[in-house]
Amino acid sequence: MTPILELRGVSHVYGAGTPFECKALDDISLSVGRGEFIGLIGHTGSGKSTLIQHFNGLLRPTSGQVLLNGADIWDKNTSIREVRFRVGLVFQYPEYQLFEETVAKDIAYGPTNMGLPEEEIHRRVADAMQAVGLPAELGGASPFALSGGQKRRAAIAGILAMQPELLVLDEPTAGLDPAGRAEIFSLLDSLHRDRGMTIVLVTHSMEDAARVASRMIVLQNGTVLTSGTPSETFSQAALLEKAGLDIPQITRVMLELRRRGYDVDPACYTVEQAYQALRAFRKEGM
Amino acid sequence: MLRDITLGQYFPGKSIAHRADPRTKIVLVMLFIFTLFFVRSWPSYGIMALYLAVVIANSKIAPKLIFRGLKPLIVIIAFTGIFNLFYTPGRELMSLGPVTVTWEGVETALFLIVRIVLLVIGSSMLTYTTAPIDLTDGLERLLSPLRRVRVPVHELAMMMSIALRFIPTLVEETEKIMNAQKARGADFESGNLIQRGKALVPILVPLFVSSFRRAEELATAMECRLYHGGEGRTRMRQLKLTGADAAAAAVSLVMFAAAAAVHLLG
Repeated sequence: MTPILELRGVSHVYGAGTPFECKALDDISLSVGRGEFIGLIGHTGSGKSTLIQHFNGLLRPTSGQVLLNGADIWDKNTSIREVRFRVGLVFQYPEYQLFEETVAKDIAYGPTNMGLPEEEIHRRVADAMQAVGLPAELGGASPFALSGGQKRRAAIAGILAMQPELLVLDEPTAGLDPAGRAEIFSLLDSLHRDRGMTIVLVTHSMEDAARVASRMIVLQNGTVLTSGTPSETFSQAALLEKAGLDIPQITRVMLELRRRGYDVDPACYTVEQAYQALRAFRKEGM
Repeated sequence: MLRDITLGQYFPGKSIAHRADPRTKIVLVMLFIFTLFFVRSWPSYGIMALYLAVVIANSKIAPKLIFRGLKPLIVIIAFTGIFNLFYTPGRELMSLGPVTVTWEGVETALFLIVRIVLLVIGSSMLTYTTAPIDLTDGLERLLSPLRRVRVPVHELAMMMSIALRFIPTLVEETEKIMNAQKARGADFESGNLIQRGKALVPILVPLFVSSFRRAEELATAMECRLYHGGEGRTRMRQLKLTGADAAAAAVSLVMFAAAAAVHLLG
C-alpha cells in the first residue's frame, strides 16, 4: 500500500548564499503509513519544525521529493493549498493563531477556505468541537475568553474540521499543566483509536512519545538517528543517551544496571516493563 | 519573504567602521547627507561614491548584501527618475505625442537616481555597522542637551530601543502566524485588493493580541526592576572616543571637503 506521506532524500538549507547559511535538514527519507501514530523526537534545533513544514508544502525542499499518496506535492499539477487541507498541521502554541469573533467561526476558517457548502461547514465545526471535547455552547463565545487549555483545543479543532488525512502536531502539550497535557494525550489517543486518524506527534520528550506512538523517529542535527517501534528505539538507549536525548528515567536505571554487570534488557520505557524484565532476570539468576 | 528586509539590519564586525563611536558615525552620516545635497556635479558624486566604496571595503560587508537593501526602494527610485525625465523643461531629445524628453530631464533624472542610491547606501552603512542599542545610546547622548528644554530624551531613546528590539521578534511572529494560517488554507497571493486586505485579518488580529501581551509583560518586568526613567540613571556601557573615531572622522571630512571643493570650483 502506498504510504500517505513519503519523503525522499529531503534536504533544506536556510539563507543560502548569506553569512547566515545553515543546513537544517540533510538527506532525510521517511514514510508515514495509513493509520500509523508516529512520534517524531529531537532536541531543539534538530530540525523537527523545519521537517514538518515540508509535510504540507510550507517549505520547499532544497533538494529531494515530498510525496503525498504517491504524488509529488511540488509537481506543477498539484495544488499546494489542496495539500495543506489534506495534511493538517497544528503549530506550536496554536492558540496564538485564533482571530475570529467566536470559537465556531474560527474553527470554520479552514473549511470555509476549502469552499465547502454552509451545512457541511456547520456539521464539521460541531463534529470537531465534539472531538476535542469543547461543549457546544462555547461555539458562540469569543476565543479570547477561553481558558488556556480550551484555547489550544479550539485551535486543534480548527485543523480537525478540515478532516485532513494526516494530522501533524508540533509540541501540542507545551506550556500546559499536567491535567491539560493528559487531556491532549487522551484526545490524540481517541482520534487515533476511534477515528483511525494517522498522526505525527512532534515532541522533545521520549517518554511522551513512547506513551502514545506506535513508531518513533528520532532526529539529530537534521538527520534520522533511529526509526522503529518504541521497544526497538529503546533497545538503542545507549546511542540515544549519547546523542543527549532525555530517555525515560526507568530506561536510564536499566542502562545503569547493565553497566554494572547485570544482564537485564534495557529496552524498557515503563515501570511495568522494567518490573517484568527484572523478574525475568531474577528467575534466570536462580 | 519578510526575512529579506536588510534595511536597518546589523552585520557584526571589527572594522574601523564598526568600532567607531556611534556619536561619531551619526554626525558623519549627517554630514554625508548634507554634502550630498550641497554638491551637484558629477565629479563630486564620484568622490562621494568613492568614499562609500572605501567605507564598504573597510566594513568587509559583502556588496551583494548592500545592494539587496536597495531592492525595496526600486519603485521609488524608478518613479523619481521617470517623473524628472518627462517634466523637466529644456532642449528636446525626443518626443512621442504629448510627452517630451529633454536633455536636461535625462541629466536631472540620473542625478537624482545617483543621489538617492548614495543616500540610501550611506545611511544604511550606519545601521549595518552599528548595533541598534549603540545607535540609540549615541542618539541619546547627542540629544542630551535638549533635556534642558524639557525634552524627554532618555524616554524617547528608550522607546526607540524597545521598538528596534522588537522588530525581529515581530517579524518572526508574523511569519509563524502566516504559516499557521496558510496551513488552514489562507491565500495571501491571489484575489483583488479587497480580498487581499481581508486575507490579512487572520494575521493582524493575532499579531495585535500578541504585541499587547508582550508590551504588558515587558512593562511588568521593567517595573519589577524599579525602572523609573532617565533621572539619576547611570549606564553600564560608557561611550568613549578612540583612535578609530579619529581615523573615521579624518577620512570622511577630507573626502567631504574634496567633494565640496570640486563642486565649488567646477
